[in-house]
Amino acid sequence: MKYINDPNRMQIEIIKKTYIFSIIPIVYALIAGEFETLLGFILGLIISTLLLRLRVLNIERSLDMPEGKAETFIRNRYFIEYLIYFAVLVVAKRNPSLNFLATAVGLFMMKFTVIIWAIFDMAKGGLQNKLKDYKDLKEDKYEKGGQ
Amino acid sequence: MVEFSPETIEMVIRSVSVIAAGLALIAGIGPGVGMGFAAGKATSAVRRQPEARGSIVTTMLLGQIISGSTGIYSLVIAIYLVFT
Repeated sequence: MKYINDPNRMQIEIIKKTYIFSIIPIVYALIAGEFETLLGFILGLIISTLLLRLRVLNIERSLDMPEGKAETFIRNRYFIEYLIYFAVLVVAKRNPSLNFLATAVGLFMMKFTVIIWAIFDMAKGGLQNKLKDYKDLKEDKYEKGGQ
Repeated sequence: MVEFSPETIEMVIRSVSVIAAGLALIAGIGPGVGMGFAAGKATSAVRRQPEARGSIVTTMLLGQIISGSTGIYSLVIAIYLVFT
């Protein structure tokens, strides 16, 4: 991951990648004419984006606190986030114009994106290492052949 | 053989599903405790090495994003059990 030293840039990258990945389900819902799915998914996506921002602010605030206080602070904030998730999912379940599972997928989209991104980065790193090894081996062979 | 009325069976199913939803919500406690622990350790790490603050925040953010998902899984199951 490129922007590991810059939390704000990383946050923007996560949001950008999540929205790019979200194009697939949104286009599917539009083509299939499932507007409940579309609305539910967009609601989940918006809430997860806002909660990501809230999480970054909470983390930055917690780093200036003493250790014990930071622990309690983050734990309490997590339970507040949990309540927000609960409210969103209950609204999606009770409202007939929103699809419950699509809302859940929208909330999970950010996590899926981060996991896919990490796997992709790992695979890319492994492939680059293999290519480098192969090139080194080839250069060694040429050098030995030249001698 | 004892026969139960359909109302009794429905009531038993509903009550058991509510109990199951409550049990599923226990899974939401774990990530909260874990995140709090990680935040405490991150705070002491920043105090020791202030120049690594950016990477600590980013790593913690990614960890929190991933670890928070287990709580939501349980929440989805619990709401599905209660409201269906």
